[in-house]
Amino acid sequence: MAKAFKSTRRGITGALEPGEARLLGALLDDVVTMLEPDTAPSEDPLAALVGMSGADAEATAPDDSAVRRLLPDAVRGDDDEALAFRRLTERSLREQKIGALRGSALLIESSPMTLNDEQARLLAQALNDVRLVLADRLSIESEEDAERLHDIADSKDVDDVESYLALVYNFVTWLQESLVQAMLKAARLDR
Amino acid sequence: MTVGFATGTDTEEKVRTDEKTDLGQPWVVVVWNDPVNLMSYVSYVFQSYFGYSEAKARTLMLEVHEEGRSAVVSGTREKVEQDTVALHSYGLWATFEKAGSE
Repeated sequence: MAKAFKSTRRGITGALEPGEARLLGALLDDVVTMLEPDTAPSEDPLAALVGMSGADAEATAPDDSAVRRLLPDAVRGDDDEALAFRRLTERSLREQKIGALRGSALLIESSPMTLNDEQARLLAQALNDVRLVLADRLSIESEEDAERLHDIADSKDVDDVESYLALVYNFVTWLQESLVQAMLKAARLDR
Repeated sequence: MTVGFATGTDTEEKVRTDEKTDLGQPWVVVVWNDPVNLMSYVSYVFQSYFGYSEAKARTLMLEVHEEGRSAVVSGTREKVEQDTVALHSYGLWATFEKAGSE
């Protein structure tokens, strides 16, 4: 079992078992694949230069509910306004997230990990995105839904795909909580 | 929001009046409750991104959790647009709107 993250003088330290690191690496890659734009980059060099790629200019709200949660509408109750804003910002948000996910996939290859503040932030963001996707696949829509899955904490509780996903979700939740607690402790010591 | 595991750390510190969110600006960023984001993580984002104190971050996080939404910062349209995208990069569910349009 992974060791909880700790705030130390050298930075935030933590360690995953090899099997856990492989699983988490695969999940991070899956989310990268979901976020990679599926349209070819614009052929208009001026549009490409100013970051207004064809894919962005034609962006629509994602069909996959998990991707829609990762890249949510920034305006509520006005689809036209939300879409106009999405076309200006979605590409860079996708790229930021992909960067954090890929960076995290590299970080978790070391065991033990020793993270500086920036690396810890990227890993916390990436773990959060993995949890948002798993939660979508598990149809976690309310706090009651989340509580229903809390008890699945051991492989002996697993008897189907849903309970396996729930086990993975609970593991990533535990890992992120442990990381964030270490980050909050480090921030408190800095003050 | 949810809790990852019980923690012993809790602050009883009161939010100073001068630190309350100034909603005199015309636009606000609203953070919405969701069942996935950890309470600790949301507090961390408010401290780390906005530079809020631990006490203020916790107050806003609890407002999101208990009331379903909280206007966490105000400013010009350009600023709230930037802040909304930044919160999306952290995975928070945020929108921007005209102040007082709730």
